[in-house]
Amino acid sequence: MKRLAAPYGSLIDREQPIEFSFENKSYQGFAGDSIASALAANDQWLLSRSFKYHRPRAALTMAGQDANTMVQLPSNPNALADRETISPGLAVMGQNYSGSLENDRGSLLGLFSRFLPVGFYYKAFFKPRGMWEKWAPLIRKKAGLGIINQQLEPDYYDKQYKFYDVVVVGAGPAGLQAALTAAIDGCEVLLVDENPSLGGALNYARFDAEGTIGTEVRDQLVQEVTANSNITCMTNAVVNAWFADNWLPIICGKRLYKVRAKQTILCTGALEQQAVFHNNDLPGIMMSSAAQRLIHLYAVRPGKTAVVVTGNNDGYAHALDLLDAGVTVSAIVELRNKPKASPLIKAAKKHGITIKSGYAVYGAKQRKNHLSAVEIREIVSPGICADSGETINCDLLCMAVGYTPTYQLACQAGGQLSYDDKSAMFTLGNLPDGLQIAGSVNSHWDLEACLAEGARAATIATNTLGLSQTEVPAPLAREKHSPNHSWPIFAHPKGKEFVDFDEDLTIADIVNATRDGYEHIQLVKRYSTCGMGPSQGRHSALAAARLVAAATNRTVAETGVTTARPPFAPEHLGHSAGRSFYPARRSNMHYRHLEAGAQMLQAGAWYRPAFYGEAGDRDNCINREVHNVRNNVGLVDVSTLGGLEVRGPDAGEFLNRFYTFGFVKQPVGRARYALLTNEAGVVIDDGVACRFSEQHYYVTATTGGVDRVYQNMLKWNAQWRLDVDIANVTSAYCGVNIAGPKARQVLAKVCSDIDLSAQGFPYMGVREGNVAGIAARVIRVGFVGELGYEVHVPQQYGEALWDALIAAGQPENIQPFGIEAQRVLRLEKGHIIIGQDTDAMSNPMEIQMGWAVSRKKPFFVGGRTISELERKPASRSLVGFVINNSKAPIPKESHLVLDGAQMTGRVTSCNYSPTLGKPIGLAYVQPQTTENSAADSRQIVIKSDGGILVTADLVPLPFYDPDTLRQEL
Amino acid sequence: MTELNPNQTARRSPLYRRHQALNAQFEMVGDALLVSKYGDTSMEPRLAISLGLADLSTLPRTGFKGPGAPQWAASQAVQLPEQPNTAVTQTDGSMVAKLSHQELLIVSDVEANSSLVNRLDQQQLPAQTYALPRADSHSWLAVTGLLGPEMFSKICGVDLRTHKFAQGQIAQTSVAKINAVVVRHDLGTTPCFYIFSDIASTEFLWDCLLDAMEEHQGVTIGVAAIRSLAAAE
Repeated sequence: MKRLAAPYGSLIDREQPIEFSFENKSYQGFAGDSIASALAANDQWLLSRSFKYHRPRAALTMAGQDANTMVQLPSNPNALADRETISPGLAVMGQNYSGSLENDRGSLLGLFSRFLPVGFYYKAFFKPRGMWEKWAPLIRKKAGLGIINQQLEPDYYDKQYKFYDVVVVGAGPAGLQAALTAAIDGCEVLLVDENPSLGGALNYARFDAEGTIGTEVRDQLVQEVTANSNITCMTNAVVNAWFADNWLPIICGKRLYKVRAKQTILCTGALEQQAVFHNNDLPGIMMSSAAQRLIHLYAVRPGKTAVVVTGNNDGYAHALDLLDAGVTVSAIVELRNKPKASPLIKAAKKHGITIKSGYAVYGAKQRKNHLSAVEIREIVSPGICADSGETINCDLLCMAVGYTPTYQLACQAGGQLSYDDKSAMFTLGNLPDGLQIAGSVNSHWDLEACLAEGARAATIATNTLGLSQTEVPAPLAREKHSPNHSWPIFAHPKGKEFVDFDEDLTIADIVNATRDGYEHIQLVKRYSTCGMGPSQGRHSALAAARLVAAATNRTVAETGVTTARPPFAPEHLGHSAGRSFYPARRSNMHYRHLEAGAQMLQAGAWYRPAFYGEAGDRDNCINREVHNVRNNVGLVDVSTLGGLEVRGPDAGEFLNRFYTFGFVKQPVGRARYALLTNEAGVVIDDGVACRFSEQHYYVTATTGGVDRVYQNMLKWNAQWRLDVDIANVTSAYCGVNIAGPKARQVLAKVCSDIDLSAQGFPYMGVREGNVAGIAARVIRVGFVGELGYEVHVPQQYGEALWDALIAAGQPENIQPFGIEAQRVLRLEKGHIIIGQDTDAMSNPMEIQMGWAVSRKKPFFVGGRTISELERKPASRSLVGFVINNSKAPIPKESHLVLDGAQMTGRVTSCNYSPTLGKPIGLAYVQPQTTENSAADSRQIVIKSDGGILVTADLVPLPFYDPDTLRQEL
Repeated sequence: MTELNPNQTARRSPLYRRHQALNAQFEMVGDALLVSKYGDTSMEPRLAISLGLADLSTLPRTGFKGPGAPQWAASQAVQLPEQPNTAVTQTDGSMVAKLSHQELLIVSDVEANSSLVNRLDQQQLPAQTYALPRADSHSWLAVTGLLGPEMFSKICGVDLRTHKFAQGQIAQTSVAKINAVVVRHDLGTTPCFYIFSDIASTEFLWDCLLDAMEEHQGVTIGVAAIRSLAAAE
């Protein structure tokens, strides 16, 4: 492991060596090293293979901004080796190769590249019809890069909200200054940077010939920022999008921060762009800033012999850095003919570096998957080189030909990206209120200008927040000399001048896309896939726009770039999912059910006992429970039923309008069935309305429907403005239904202040009293078709009530029963369940609930539609059936009712009835089925499991106790 | 001293089994059975200054709503908050929270010394004033400690930092995806947040809070620690 001496290597801790492996070979790095830097220190440059041609790839940006460094980790594929830090024992593998990373058989594809033009997939697999289905499995197998470890236990991800006056994105010079200015003005500031340390380019870039200013400015700013208690710094954190009202999702570690900022200042910097020439993707060719990062952040010498290709003065600074790091700089290939004199150029010349002005790198050569030489040629016109040139041996080529602003977040916020043909640069404008930009993202390159712009942006933000009233200086004029070369693109007869490294797209691919008729940049993107890879066009957008502009005879400004959508950087699904929240509701008796051996099921968020006993003994358990209710006494938890208090002088009138029945004249102390329809006359819920006083109704609703009923009640009364109060008290009450011929006998043991006699407390009566010493509402109901009492008590007394009733019923052998038995019991009694026996079209008449509709009252919700429906012939009818053939399979819900081959209805409920000793059910059938035949010969045919046709006999409802003698005991 | 067992009382917190599993010791506070402390630790009061979670669900509370409710409550010598979403502590230690112009939540002090809840519950209510069963519709949890806001920020979208969410302020919001009323009601000098939420979801919320507290080494605390915090100057 070779390292430069300190102070190089600001991110590494030389006291902490770390062993890890790459491609099953052990390496050593230091704490703070990225995978790529640690490998580079060991002279291992090759990291991955490209997506299409399997070309060897190595670090391009050293900033986690490209797909070249994607490697496979045990936990996840596509980890960025220049972003991911090493840890002890970390096992890293290359990805997307056949054979070995060094000798990838897939690289043979590159030999056939001329047969794989842009649009190849569309052209090759589209015809003949049906071919795509044959090719797709093969292509999909080859697509994608890494491998997902499906055996891996997912990590714990979560989310957190944060609130700040000002969020500054990017902790370079402009960002540091912006944060500091805003904080001094009293703002709570969050300063976010995706890198491990504050400083941005100040940590690695050279701003002067001596190479001292950057460090001085950084040290001072960082010291002031970290000392300011108003500033929170978040490093290794990516602001992954900008959403309306400055809502910023920030990913840091395994947490997604959901940040609300009153003001946002983007100091996101600029992304260095590559030169486009033959074999410009070889390992050893990198952005100049990448080489500087290796040197300054990781103390890694990026090569032995270097060439710098540049179109700006930064290239000279980079060359000086290389020299300082002990790299031989063979030449600076200057794209400009006559660069204006500057201290940096002067210094480079002073060091004796050969400068080839008006030259370009025309091509690169490789040896053992690494750069071995470059061919340089004189530029004769933009993009055109002389017929011959010279070859310079080197193992490092640094590219410094220009930048694009890191515009993604600004564009997501509505910012407009324009192209200035004169400076050959993208610039941002048209930013929304509450968003400022400063620094190189705003096309300022001079350090002093970046600092001034940062302060200016912060002043605008703090003034807007009312925390300062400082005069805002005028925006600085942009520097005269652009760092962007207008055409660092040089086509080569052998191609392989890569515009988009992610997708292996060359100059010819982009130009041919326009020739195929896809002239709009958005169409070029979709046809060629340019910009669709992991780096989302960070290094291809500018070159592609220039090429498309030239190919279509437009300006780059007219051509534009594709839309920058979130996320800015790839994110784990775990970040989006976060910690799992599955709200669960339990009645106060929940654990009593578990203790009694209940198998629980979830109805919405509620847990309910399905039946009591072993899961494998389900049917017997249900049958036993049914039998016990019919012949003895059972207890079921009905706490999940909705409960609504409707109170006030107009309570009766309100219910009259809301439900189908009449309620104004309902006597106090009585319950009444309440059927709810919507405006279309469709049945949407049911329950009972219990009148406890003139102005007080307690209305029950279905477990799943109560929230909707409550919302509908509020909605309607917002229109009706009746003097009524509505409260959803579902959770406030626990309820049980004690049912069976011995129910009264058991209840009487724990309830002495209510006359429970048949005369004193008749069917559908309601009472208030004490049960087991607990204040209770008692309702005589008959949902299961037996003598029964629903007892509702305050929630926290539920378990005590359950205990008391179970204890009191021991002599009568009281047993709990679950909702499965309840379903059978109610079916025997012919009671429907809303949502199971009804659907989005069911009206009261077709479910035989016409009796629950009052025709006397002037209005109720759905009344007008129902009266219209009643004038028309019914299209279907819900009827009861029994299956007398004991060998026939029992149909299930939604099995079809057939008339020959024609579907005429469907089953809604069907269960074996222990009481009747045969399967019974409910089904929608055509009305003539029930009308045109003699009552004793009406039959339907049901297509059961496996296509078996089952004949069922239609019978009048209910199946059990038609005279309701049992429930009215 | 006889060991108190929640099974012996009629009114039981939905969390009592969780408390028992954590070796809780119980005590009667008024008519309510509350966790006194967990295990034998004497650290609870100190840890609660950092981050604690208590279950106060069995303590008295009630609610009233309707156009006549504020006026009626005022006639009952109740000091009302001026603005909705604020709460005031009464002279007897109970707290009155104004959830809207027409809705009040009234909770006991943690020693259950106040008789306000019982007194109001026994009154004949005038027209357009309706009682709400808040003692049973909503659980009552308390999050104590300086790290409370940081913990909340993982499961609640409202900025509850103490310099942004003042004493007596109320947020009717979502906590861990369920509806909740969060009231800042400091105990002595220690920040404290009462959470009132759907009682049927109490166990779910409790688990979510414990999960969110874990990274801050938050602990469950009993009423003894609450008492200690309240007494601290």
